[in-house]
Amino acid sequence: MEDALTLILAGISVGSVYALIAIGLNLTYWTTRTMNFGQGSVMMLGAMMTAVLVAGGVIDALAALASLVVIAAIMVFTEVFTVRPALKIGGSMGWAVSTLGVGIILQGVAAKYFGSQAVAFPDMVFSAQDYVEVFGVRFALQYLAILVLSVALVALLELLLRRTVWGRAMRAVSMDADLAAVAGIPVRPIVLGSYIASGLLAGIAGMLIAQTGGTVDPAFGFDLMIFGFVAAVLGGIGSSSGALLGGLVLGVIEKLVGGYVSTAAAHGIAFALLVVVLVARPQGLFGQREVVKV
Amino acid sequence: MTGVRRLLTALVTNPVAIGLLVVALFAGAGWMSGGTLQILTFLLVNILLAQSMNLLTGVAGQISLGHAGFFGMGAYASGILMKSYGLGFVATVPAAVAVAALTGLLVSFPAGRVREFYLAMMTLAFGLIFREVVREWNDVTGGAMGLSGVPSPMLRTLVIFDLKIDAAWYFRIVLIITAAVMWLLHNFIQSRFGRAFYAIHVSEVAAGSIGIPRAATKRLAYVLSGALAGLAGAFYAHLVGYLGPESFDLPRSVEVLVTTVVGGLGSMAGQVLSAVLFTFLPEKLQVFAQYQFIVYGIILAFSLIVIPRGLAGLLLLPPRFVKRAALRRVGDAAEPIRAVQATSEPGLRVERVTMRFGGLTAVDDVSLSLQPGRITALIGPNGSGKSTLINVISGIYQPSSGVVRFFGRAITGMADHRIAASGLVRTFQDPRLVPSFTVRENLLLGAHRLFRRNGLAAALNLPGAIREEGRHLATVEAVLRMAGLAEVADRTIESLPYGYRRLVEVGRALLAEPRAILLDEPAAGLTEAEMALLARLIRAMKQAGLMVLLIEHHMDFVAELVDDVVVLDSGRVIYHGDVQGMRRDPQVIAAYLGETEDVDA
Repeated sequence: MEDALTLILAGISVGSVYALIAIGLNLTYWTTRTMNFGQGSVMMLGAMMTAVLVAGGVIDALAALASLVVIAAIMVFTEVFTVRPALKIGGSMGWAVSTLGVGIILQGVAAKYFGSQAVAFPDMVFSAQDYVEVFGVRFALQYLAILVLSVALVALLELLLRRTVWGRAMRAVSMDADLAAVAGIPVRPIVLGSYIASGLLAGIAGMLIAQTGGTVDPAFGFDLMIFGFVAAVLGGIGSSSGALLGGLVLGVIEKLVGGYVSTAAAHGIAFALLVVVLVARPQGLFGQREVVKV
Repeated sequence: MTGVRRLLTALVTNPVAIGLLVVALFAGAGWMSGGTLQILTFLLVNILLAQSMNLLTGVAGQISLGHAGFFGMGAYASGILMKSYGLGFVATVPAAVAVAALTGLLVSFPAGRVREFYLAMMTLAFGLIFREVVREWNDVTGGAMGLSGVPSPMLRTLVIFDLKIDAAWYFRIVLIITAAVMWLLHNFIQSRFGRAFYAIHVSEVAAGSIGIPRAATKRLAYVLSGALAGLAGAFYAHLVGYLGPESFDLPRSVEVLVTTVVGGLGSMAGQVLSAVLFTFLPEKLQVFAQYQFIVYGIILAFSLIVIPRGLAGLLLLPPRFVKRAALRRVGDAAEPIRAVQATSEPGLRVERVTMRFGGLTAVDDVSLSLQPGRITALIGPNGSGKSTLINVISGIYQPSSGVVRFFGRAITGMADHRIAASGLVRTFQDPRLVPSFTVRENLLLGAHRLFRRNGLAAALNLPGAIREEGRHLATVEAVLRMAGLAEVADRTIESLPYGYRRLVEVGRALLAEPRAILLDEPAAGLTEAEMALLARLIRAMKQAGLMVLLIEHHMDFVAELVDDVVVLDSGRVIYHGDVQGMRRDPQVIAAYLGETEDVDA
């Protein structure tokens, strides 16, 4: 029983990571119905650049800030030069491929200039040894920080979306950007803002995740991004609270499978779950089906 | 520029030129160095892989971000069967193709149910699942260490029928098989199967409306694409002699996608050009090799935006989707649409159909029937439920209650493509054609449900398949003339103005030789001249004994064409009778003009 509890807590730890990634992915979906297939590389870049800067003697906070500024610029570039033109092609093939392309560029650049070997990532928020005890099981504070951030973000975003005029504007943009523009909503800044916010979130997520593992390499973000997709899909794409739940469910399933079946199967199960949920409940476990007009 | 393209196209699609090239390579293989043979064989592998990707993503429109999975399936199947089970090359290669095709079939079930970026995610997941399985299944695949010692001609360890195969003969074998597969694939894509792939690529709803089953068509695309990738994988396995999971990871999938996108989605010749480019570039250009990943990223990020049609779009004329032999055979012969055997009973009965969306009742207890050889107009204000009713009849919506019978058989709940295949077809308010197809190809697409020859006959260009395609092309010719489209028959839809598209869509529905046809506002946006042509088409339908249901707002157009009128208002039938009666009917007047005051009171 204590085993199960350990596994579940471990699951909640990694699950909160997936949730954080999924929340970031959702942000752009809100405004443009697109998702950044290069998000994994953005996470990697946030972590890796910080690590390299810190190794070069820059203080932690400054290094993190500098990385986030670079990420914001990259997201602006992504939106302006690859997503917006690709949306004109029609269908999602254009932007799915072009954002994947940007991700691959970033990964290639990181491998070229930071090296393809793993770089040590410094402890930024807590050290890996910090923990609290929950029912006699250790819960690492680094993970707790991620969980707290995820929960806080979900609360904030739900509030933003439901209660503020910005939330309504964002929903209007996602429904019909042209109509929203006619209604006087500043569509461009909102879309651009969602991309920047999504990128910043990914960057922060990258740093928080990198410190739990202690290292980061150019291929670091890709699988995590897929787990983020799984979490987003599980919870219903676009839903913040769904992303949180989806992430936690995914994390717990992964750890339970790893603990009771085989650690080798843990990752495969997550990918398989993506396939199954997309087929059986494309609106997510907690979402409602969209009605499509023919 | 078009002249250059025409010349280049004539060259790369010329069977004699291709034949000579194959013969020259076959004969020349004896003089080539080991290194040259290796890279040329690798080129052939890349060509096959690019064709596989092109078939699925370029032609059938199903994006694949996990294509290395199919490739790896073939490679591991052939490698393991030969190394661990001692089977011969002639058994392992077909087995690899079968295993990869089966994988394609399995993937098609979940993948066939999702579209757009959900599909991108799913195929990504498929590729990763394959990677995980290969990495973790140590006993069979060698796990992360890989599988070495796969018999290979480079090491002189590959034996076929007791003959030691050297690099030159291996190249020759792969060359001949690749050339044969390309020929079959080319013929297949130019048949109704290739056209059906394109139809579901462009619009699954429109494809269903002319009787193309989307699930089965997608399944076929996945199976064939899997088989092609499996073949490429098997050849690759014996070329390199070592299989490691990293060879079939995401970068490989990205590489194939890059090749296909740069070659030009949908163009077989473009794939070959692109495969040549991406096989030799890393070899010749060390700088390229160093920046390979970055370059691939840049290509993916921008090529669809900058050159959406790839190398093929720049250098070649767009590919065509009709068998040239069939076109030659027909010449300009025209075969009119066959008349339907007349029956006096109504063929289509809508019985008390109600359609609710949440709290909104769009169609409310509607009954009507269509008679062969009669045109029935369905009119009513906007939002009165006309299009919804057509969507119910054609199987796109399932009604909340009520039944639609077609020649006695209840068709409610049947899939839209099965309803269409049984002879009940429709058009849409917004024409849904294949933009890159010519007018002729789009019309031929309409005859899809009438084709009987199987895929093998189409791929082998058997006389029967050519004859069949020719027969339908003759009918297409007749419709082209009737609809005034003969002049633009070989122009692509995307190059034509709106009015033509409407006529083509109506013509396409007629080509299905249906027994009933539902036209949703076919005259909207047409000029007077175009409307006259449309009227001619609709009269031809009547003469051929079809049941015609016509939704239309244009009253003069309706008045001179139709036999019966059904008027809907707020989802209910408020009038059923002839045109004169409708004009006097107070309820109809009220619905259109608002309530009239009774002046006598």
